[in-house]
Amino acid sequence: MLSDIITPDLFAAALRMATPLALAAIGGTICERSGVVNIALEGIMLIGAFFGTATVLATGSPWLGVLVAVLAGVAISAVHAVASVNLRTDQVVSGTAINLLALGLTGFLMELWYGHPGTTQPIPTLQPVFGFGAMGDGFLGEVWRWINGVFLSHTPLVYAAIFIAIGTHWAMYHTKWGLRLRALGEHPRAVDTAGVSVARGRWVAVLMSGALGGLAGANLSIEQVGVFQEGFTNGRGFIALAANIFGRWTPIGSYLASLLFGFADALQIKLQPFRDVIDLPPEFFLMVPYVVTVVVLAGVIGRAVGPAQVGVPYEKG
Amino acid sequence: MPVLELREVTKVFPGVVANDRVSLTLEEREIVALLGENGAGKSTLMNVVYGLLSADHGEILVDGQPVKIRSSRHAIDLGIGMVHQHFMLVEPLTVTENIILGREPGRMGVIDMNAARKKVAEISERYGLRIDPDARISELEVGLQQRVEILKALYQGARVLILDEPTAVLTPQEVRELFAVVRSLVDEGLSVVFITHKLEEVMAVADRIVVMRDGAVVGEVRPSETDEIGLARLMVGRDVVLRIDKQPVKCGETVLDIRDLSVKSDRNLSAVNGVSFTVCGGEIVAIAGVSGNGQTELVEALVGLRRPESGSITLKGNDITRASARSSIEIGVSHIPEDRHRRGLVLTFNLAENLVLGDHRLKPYATRGIMHPREITSMAKKRIADYDIRTPSEKLIASSLSGGNQQKVVVAREIGRNPELLVAAQPTRGLDVGAIEFVHRQIIAERTSGKAVLLISLELEEVLSLADRILVMYEGRIVKEFSAEQADAETLGYFMTGGGGTKLDKGGADLTMTGSGVGA
Amino acid sequence: MSESREVVPTQRAWMSVVQKIGTPIISTVLAIAVGSFIIWISGYDPAEAFAALFKGAFGGPRQTGETILRSTPLILAGLAVGYGFRAGLFNIGAEGQLMMGGLLVAWLGVQMAGLSSVVTIPTLLVAAALAGAAWAFIPAILKARIGAHEVITTMMFSHIARYIVAWLTAGPIKAPGQIPQTVNLTESAQIPRIQSLFSEGALEALPFLNLGRAHLGILIAIAAAVGVWLVLRYTTLGYENRAVGLSPWAAETAGISVQWTTVKALCISGALAGLAGGIEVMGLQHRIFDQFSAGVGFTGIAVALLAKNHPIGIIAAALLFGALSAGSGTMQLEAGVSQKIILIIQALVIFFVAAEGIVNWFIRKRQKEAASSAE
Repeated sequence: MLSDIITPDLFAAALRMATPLALAAIGGTICERSGVVNIALEGIMLIGAFFGTATVLATGSPWLGVLVAVLAGVAISAVHAVASVNLRTDQVVSGTAINLLALGLTGFLMELWYGHPGTTQPIPTLQPVFGFGAMGDGFLGEVWRWINGVFLSHTPLVYAAIFIAIGTHWAMYHTKWGLRLRALGEHPRAVDTAGVSVARGRWVAVLMSGALGGLAGANLSIEQVGVFQEGFTNGRGFIALAANIFGRWTPIGSYLASLLFGFADALQIKLQPFRDVIDLPPEFFLMVPYVVTVVVLAGVIGRAVGPAQVGVPYEKG
Repeated sequence: MPVLELREVTKVFPGVVANDRVSLTLEEREIVALLGENGAGKSTLMNVVYGLLSADHGEILVDGQPVKIRSSRHAIDLGIGMVHQHFMLVEPLTVTENIILGREPGRMGVIDMNAARKKVAEISERYGLRIDPDARISELEVGLQQRVEILKALYQGARVLILDEPTAVLTPQEVRELFAVVRSLVDEGLSVVFITHKLEEVMAVADRIVVMRDGAVVGEVRPSETDEIGLARLMVGRDVVLRIDKQPVKCGETVLDIRDLSVKSDRNLSAVNGVSFTVCGGEIVAIAGVSGNGQTELVEALVGLRRPESGSITLKGNDITRASARSSIEIGVSHIPEDRHRRGLVLTFNLAENLVLGDHRLKPYATRGIMHPREITSMAKKRIADYDIRTPSEKLIASSLSGGNQQKVVVAREIGRNPELLVAAQPTRGLDVGAIEFVHRQIIAERTSGKAVLLISLELEEVLSLADRILVMYEGRIVKEFSAEQADAETLGYFMTGGGGTKLDKGGADLTMTGSGVGA
Repeated sequence: MSESREVVPTQRAWMSVVQKIGTPIISTVLAIAVGSFIIWISGYDPAEAFAALFKGAFGGPRQTGETILRSTPLILAGLAVGYGFRAGLFNIGAEGQLMMGGLLVAWLGVQMAGLSSVVTIPTLLVAAALAGAAWAFIPAILKARIGAHEVITTMMFSHIARYIVAWLTAGPIKAPGQIPQTVNLTESAQIPRIQSLFSEGALEALPFLNLGRAHLGILIAIAAAVGVWLVLRYTTLGYENRAVGLSPWAAETAGISVQWTTVKALCISGALAGLAGGIEVMGLQHRIFDQFSAGVGFTGIAVALLAKNHPIGIIAAALLFGALSAGSGTMQLEAGVSQKIILIIQALVIFFVAAEGIVNWFIRKRQKEAASSAE
């Protein structure tokens, strides 16, 4: 049985499942590093997924869909930026409003444009980048089967997420933007007295998290599921925030934490057909990501310390 | 030509003139000390110069050119650097990262860390400010953190350096090092404004001393022309300390007995170090000292907000060393907290709710968890009348009262509870004269009725006019004890600032004290 | 220190009334205005839509009854979220506690079949509250002891609750038949409909009593609101809850345990949410099934924010959202506008109420300036 579970596609699925979480988590990382809490990621993903899918339905072009998903994420996150940076409202409440708005708006437009609630028509999805077949026999063939299966079987955004994780991580520690971002959430007044605008830095960060949330939504709809379904983000935005915490507010850390959650998800799916062996109802498997999130959060907090001034509106002077 | 000149700078906050036509010049390679008590307007003035506040009237000239400084960025561009009392350092970042923040070297947004490190090393070499460029701020001692702040200003191209209370957080050793640094900066061509309220320091470091009081410049002297006693007189503004008439102390039984108490600060450093003293009924004991010498931690340990590391606290024979804040209140300790807005009041509660805070579980205000608004209201009305709280109703929220009236609410609650011991931490900070008098009278009344009072204050005048005994706290220890008759402002100030070699050397204390003119 | 320098309070009292009532009303009006705009650009007639909505919510006794019916769990969910807010806690996962309350009632109610309703109904109500409180307990402990943010933990527990309901209704406590749901409660475990209190004759003579599916749970909800109001106002529990919510530092200084108060507040919040779920099962659904709550816990957030966490205000806010919800069906049927517009309006209400913080902040700043210039 073990050889039926531990297969290349278990790990491939882990990478796949981790992708939307990782993209959103990196968005959360950037946002929180700047001092703004973004619990709106759930709604941003949903908005991105919906407008991405709608674009693909209208134009038939998955790539155009990805672009629109990103733009939609940026647009909705601008609302969060206005609220939390300019109006200095409670960032958690503003995020909640956006989550609810996303749920309502996507549902409303779904019925307006497609005449029914629930799920859209299937859309053409982004296809795997490579299409290598089996090669060779014996041990080498087996090795190739694993490499090909785990790493070379993916759609573009799965790779994009890896590059984004590495890229933003590098940028966070090697560029002006990164240095200022890291300072922003810790001690905004120090940034201000060094002559750098706090508001502008936070705006950029919130919009970037919107772009990444939109991309996460695109991955979910245009790569993974191939449809848009109302509310199908299913708490992923919140899990992503936990991944960000577990990853200690770093992009690569967020990616690796997402990989853990992705693996838990992949494993529960993989285990479901073995119900005659593991005598547990399917819902127990479905709970796994949420339980893992709480356990991880409970285990890691106290040791993981976030940016000192996260969630605190900055007032000049 | 002076590098920096202020002409008649005036800054008004609602209700307060913080700077009243202040004029000041700073020549090249000069160290000017700006001396004054807390609230004299020194920091406001320098914040105006650094572009954090804008002046209502007056002129600022840099190198003889009139300028209007709009932002800190602008001030930096003009060559003005400032080391704030609360450091503007990002703790998890490295020394180099903090220094270059806002002016990072490099191309296309990518920081050239090697160039940055080289430049930092260069500056630190040139001014003799040795530091590990890759250390994280959180790993550095306070003195080194301050060094990073100075390096940051130098990196930004400062020719004028403003140091705001730079010694407030330093050990005596670090202070000596800082002085050496400041002198070498001046040798390299910088000009320095040194803000402080410690006499000893200005005598040691300044070329010229500008004394401020109540927002205005009241004198300008050179260290060679004066001594610490003369400076203190100029700073405080009077020779005679106003004393409130009170009966001679009739010491009752010992109420508070503290033995060998040691307490750690939030940063897990030793803040109170083996302190022992007693307070008896009918006596006011004052702890005098400069802010940050362990007073806050001592008070917090006393009222159950902080666990002491060792030692004991006894109240009328009951051990309260590890009592919670709740049982501490119930056993008879009242506390006027130093931070009235944060700890003293729930600002959005109404007055009645604030007046019952801490007693809200007790009879007659509540029985078995049910509160009795009628009892609370009548108590509130009585307190409002007794303590002269100016409000039309006990239903008004606390934040709508003036600062003086807010403090009266806290005082009314804490004294009205009829405690065994009143711990009053900076009870008059930020109050106007009328409110100060009121609070003082209440504290005296507690004493008259035979209660024990522990007063913690940074204000010498307050300490002198209220206390029967004065303990001087410095660096977490009681370095000197005076009876009321023995003490005067100059001597106290002297010991509070670690003056006359008392530092941690108790043996020489008495000798120095005579030398500085006790009984003059 | 003369009398004349002291602050004159009359203007402030007036401003505080405006703050209390004015801004929620403005927020609601703004939200409906933006909603109308969305309806309009979607090609519908907002006037027609809202007329249909009003008809569906208040057009007759049956419709009014439907509004009452929808408001009932919203009052309790709003109280749950509001009570948490009063302690500075955001119980975003009220939905999960609500489902656990409903679940326990659906199971226990069936077990208690045959007992008198005098015993059954109070027992079930207590059980619902306990189930909700228990579901909030772990997030509460995690918050108090190690500071794990309740927004993430209660949200996760909400998802877990959903799967527990799905699992139990699909298997262990599933009723016979195809649909995953539990056996219906016997009548002794049901909360009676309001109209069942009156005789046929009375209903014919007074047709406005014909309130359709509305049940007596509304009285329990209103009683709970009054109860919460009393607790907040007249008990040390409520007093400490408010003190911790407004200033944990001052509360700590006054000897109030911030941690313990946090645990109590989140559990009481959970209990109220659980009660909402239990009453929904006992009064309306009579059984539990997958996804039976449909976002009541989330609407509770909007209710609480709109009412500024005031228990009596929560009744009014819940009636508003109950009416929107009850009328939305008619709106969809007659004007063709999707019911989802209601969710959008809810989100906008939250947003405008939150952005109103700036109005508050502004007023407070002016008060402070007035106070300090009077010194």
